[in-house]
Amino acid sequence: MLRNTTRAFAVMALSVPAVLGLGGIAEAQDKFKLGMAVGGNTCCEWMKAQGDVARALAEKEGWDYVELSNNNDPATALKNAQIFVQEGAKAVIQFNGQAASNPAISAVMKQAGIPIVTYDIADPGMYFVGIDNLAAGIAGGEGLGKIVKEKWDCNPDLVVSAEGAGAGIVNEWRTGGMRTGLGNICPDIPKEKYVSFESQGDAAVGLPAARDLLAAHPDAKKIAVVGLNDGGVLALINAAEQLGRADDVIGWGQDGAFITGDNVNPHLVGSVFYFLEGYAVYAIRDVIKPIAEGKIPPLKADAGDPASKVQPCPVTAEQAKAVPDMAERVKQLLAAPAGTTEYDLFCPNKG
Amino acid sequence: MTDITAAPVRKGLSEDWRAILTGSVASISITFIAVIAIGWFWVGPKFLSFGNVSIMGTFLIVPLIVGAFSGFALLSGVVDLSIGSMVAFSSALFALLISLGWDPATTAVVTLVACLCFGGINAIAIVGFGAEPIAATLGMLVALRGIAWVLLGSQGTIFAFNIDMFNLISLQLFGLPLFFLVAIALTVVAALIVTRTRAGRHVQAVGGDDKAAARAGISVRGVRVAALLLSSFGAGLGGIVYAAQLGSAARATGFGLEFQVYAALMIGGYSILRGGVGNPIGGALGLLAVAGVSNILDLKAISPYYVNIIVGLLLLAAVLLDRIRGGDAYE
Amino acid sequence: MSVTPAIETAAPAVPLKVRLGGWGTGLMLLAVWLLLIVATGLYRQDFLSHQTLLAVTFTMAVVGVLAIGQGLVAISGGFIDLSQPANMILASLVAVRLSEAGMPLAVVIVGAILSGMLWGALNAAIVVFARLNPVIVTLATNFIGLAVLFLVFQLAEVPLNSEIYQFGRASFLGLPAIFWPMLALVLIVGLLMPRTRYGRRAIAVGGNKAAAKARGISLKLTRFAIFTIAGGFVGFASVLFAATAGPFNPGSANTLQLNIIAGVILAGISLAGGRGNFWMLLLSVGFLSTIPTSLVFFGLSSDTQSIFQGFILIIAVAIDGWRARKGTP
Repeated sequence: MLRNTTRAFAVMALSVPAVLGLGGIAEAQDKFKLGMAVGGNTCCEWMKAQGDVARALAEKEGWDYVELSNNNDPATALKNAQIFVQEGAKAVIQFNGQAASNPAISAVMKQAGIPIVTYDIADPGMYFVGIDNLAAGIAGGEGLGKIVKEKWDCNPDLVVSAEGAGAGIVNEWRTGGMRTGLGNICPDIPKEKYVSFESQGDAAVGLPAARDLLAAHPDAKKIAVVGLNDGGVLALINAAEQLGRADDVIGWGQDGAFITGDNVNPHLVGSVFYFLEGYAVYAIRDVIKPIAEGKIPPLKADAGDPASKVQPCPVTAEQAKAVPDMAERVKQLLAAPAGTTEYDLFCPNKG
Repeated sequence: MTDITAAPVRKGLSEDWRAILTGSVASISITFIAVIAIGWFWVGPKFLSFGNVSIMGTFLIVPLIVGAFSGFALLSGVVDLSIGSMVAFSSALFALLISLGWDPATTAVVTLVACLCFGGINAIAIVGFGAEPIAATLGMLVALRGIAWVLLGSQGTIFAFNIDMFNLISLQLFGLPLFFLVAIALTVVAALIVTRTRAGRHVQAVGGDDKAAARAGISVRGVRVAALLLSSFGAGLGGIVYAAQLGSAARATGFGLEFQVYAALMIGGYSILRGGVGNPIGGALGLLAVAGVSNILDLKAISPYYVNIIVGLLLLAAVLLDRIRGGDAYE
Repeated sequence: MSVTPAIETAAPAVPLKVRLGGWGTGLMLLAVWLLLIVATGLYRQDFLSHQTLLAVTFTMAVVGVLAIGQGLVAISGGFIDLSQPANMILASLVAVRLSEAGMPLAVVIVGAILSGMLWGALNAAIVVFARLNPVIVTLATNFIGLAVLFLVFQLAEVPLNSEIYQFGRASFLGLPAIFWPMLALVLIVGLLMPRTRYGRRAIAVGGNKAAAKARGISLKLTRFAIFTIAGGFVGFASVLFAATAGPFNPGSANTLQLNIIAGVILAGISLAGGRGNFWMLLLSVGFLSTIPTSLVFFGLSSDTQSIFQGFILIIAVAIDGWRARKGTP
């Protein structure tokens, strides 16, 4: 009895798109259309804000704006690229935290002749806009090194890296850079004092692993912490507080997510602001707007020689007090003249 | 559906017109048509253009394959929760071996054999020892995720972009992705097997009432072992397709895929708690409907953050519709 | 499917046998747990330290309370509550907002528990009135809940040095303050379930619905009560979570889910319903929480942790299945 229904629907499923598809021809667009694929990982509030800022700036320019979410999934990111092509986007910005699909996305965009900007994680076929993660890591490590030198005479018991393997190479650059930077100031810390744990870049998720790491090093008192981001570093700080060992913990983070506002953990002594939420200013100023005006800039895809370089802004917790929180920063950024970056507006420590 | 062992499940309905109203693909067909209609009226004709259907199709290849194969496990009454991690493991192993310079065909065979081995462990635990399927395959889900992540190494990604494989997977036929059509064909074959062959009736019978099936002389163990192996084979295949499509494997590959696929299969009339119900066509329509909804939201530039809300509501609506149309009621 | 035979085998309440089955599981769990502790202790003597005890008991606290909720849903035939992550994040957000408003800890706790119960009742309402399977309902409400939560907030944390913050860092008798309520709750629930009318009803409904109905037990009321109470446990777990977690986001509870279900299964609480001893949760959750700590002492990466936990789960349910099969003709 099911057979006929089944057959009928099978035929329908296949034939409906084929028959009706003939009518589908996209209308020509006069307006410049910008596509933006946000990272879509619920971990990070700046990922949503990156889209909000890009939308506001695109509207200011009078462009059409389409936003899709990569859902932190490599396949979705590739699908979104194809949708942008179909929707007639003239340029695309993406943050693809799952950079695994970047080569395929590059291939798709190249075939369609649509320029694409990628934030922070470079690909040879995409305009690179963002931070030099390695340099940001080193800057943070040196900031921490100065404090370690001053307080402990470069002799900590343990140097902990809060890793986030899910971020791929970015994780290696940032945590590796921080260890390098620390070593630049304190070259004599022995290798066996460097340990790491998987924080997944999330203070809450990384907490149990951080407690385990501390338990496995019961004699370490003076502990310096570096990490992929502020969240990972906070995981270890919170763990140390819970195990009663926070007195001598010094953490220096990356990305500045938890160093503003009145809830800053006293053991987080510094971080490196990227002002991730405001990246669209760089992308639009240096790549997208020239394209919209018909002056296509040369493809600069390398993090060392980027299409637009975001300056890392290393700050101590003391300096960070002058920096407003993210929501306020976005408000001020959107009120500022076009092309002004958050670094210009807020970095208290311009190099 | 003339098999006596499966008769109680269908409550003796026999006429075709009643089957349209109450059959296992009826609710999902209505949902599917509704999605198409909404897309057509709201987005416009481009919703059904070859280009747009191609985009949806390209990213349905893996779910369709995984769904068609794991549907056999559902039908036989042993849910396999490990499919998402199996996809992750398969893509990680495939990408790893390719990046070591192996030839794609050998790599594919080795990968599939490895997946079948893990499927075999599922089968030994569930069929051999009588472990509860949800629990055992949940264990496999966790274990395989760990294995996949170990394979991926400290960078969490293996790049294995091979332009030949990418071009192969991107081949078009009649303006649609070739492998999408292959996946649809596979679904139809699976549906034919389920509804028209002895083996298919046995699978349904085992899932519907294993004791009655055993009395009727069907090898309950054999059917379930085969179904679990098929399920792991399908997931292995899915992982290979992913690796070829994306040119890489990463920690996020396949993460949570089991819930996405099973949500769509349940929208399509399968049950993850009871065997013997569901049909590969219904499952495929479920996947198409969900993809259609998400595509409509994409094309209407509606905030992407609403997609999961709508998928969740759709899941509830579909199972409710199915229940009202005479499907299974809980308690 | 396999759920059916399990219901049939466990059906007519035979308390003594059920209880004995539970203790067998307990002895086995205790044995492997001790084996793990001894093996790690031999490899590195400093494993047997107060720091390790703290690390393990902190992890046990949140997981243990969530496992009670999950166990209640399972034992009463509701299979699994897949919406625990969304429920927990919502209740944690309530706890954060209340503590930000300067409320005393008691109010924060009550608020979070009420939020959890409300969520549980919402699930139950859909399950009972629409007569849909709880697994599907909670899968859907989790999807919807997390998506809505992300629209509402992206990041939250309890204020530094607020009462709840201090609670998360306090210790009592050498163990974390948050550990003791978990211990008490497991002991109380484990004591009450087989010995009170309502507890036995819940188990009976899970074991054999038809028989329970014939005895005049209202399935709907039981389902409502169980989901609401289980949600309350999730709400309380959120207090422990928010107190310790530091900043969290809507996705922060997702990774807990599998561990909790594994804990319930290892404890011998049947996902098919009708069978289980809640005291065993202390052993299963303790064992599962010790594995990652041990692996760190062995110097193994955290990815290997899932491999061990996964295969241990498979072996455990295989043995459980084997015993259940041998126990019935």
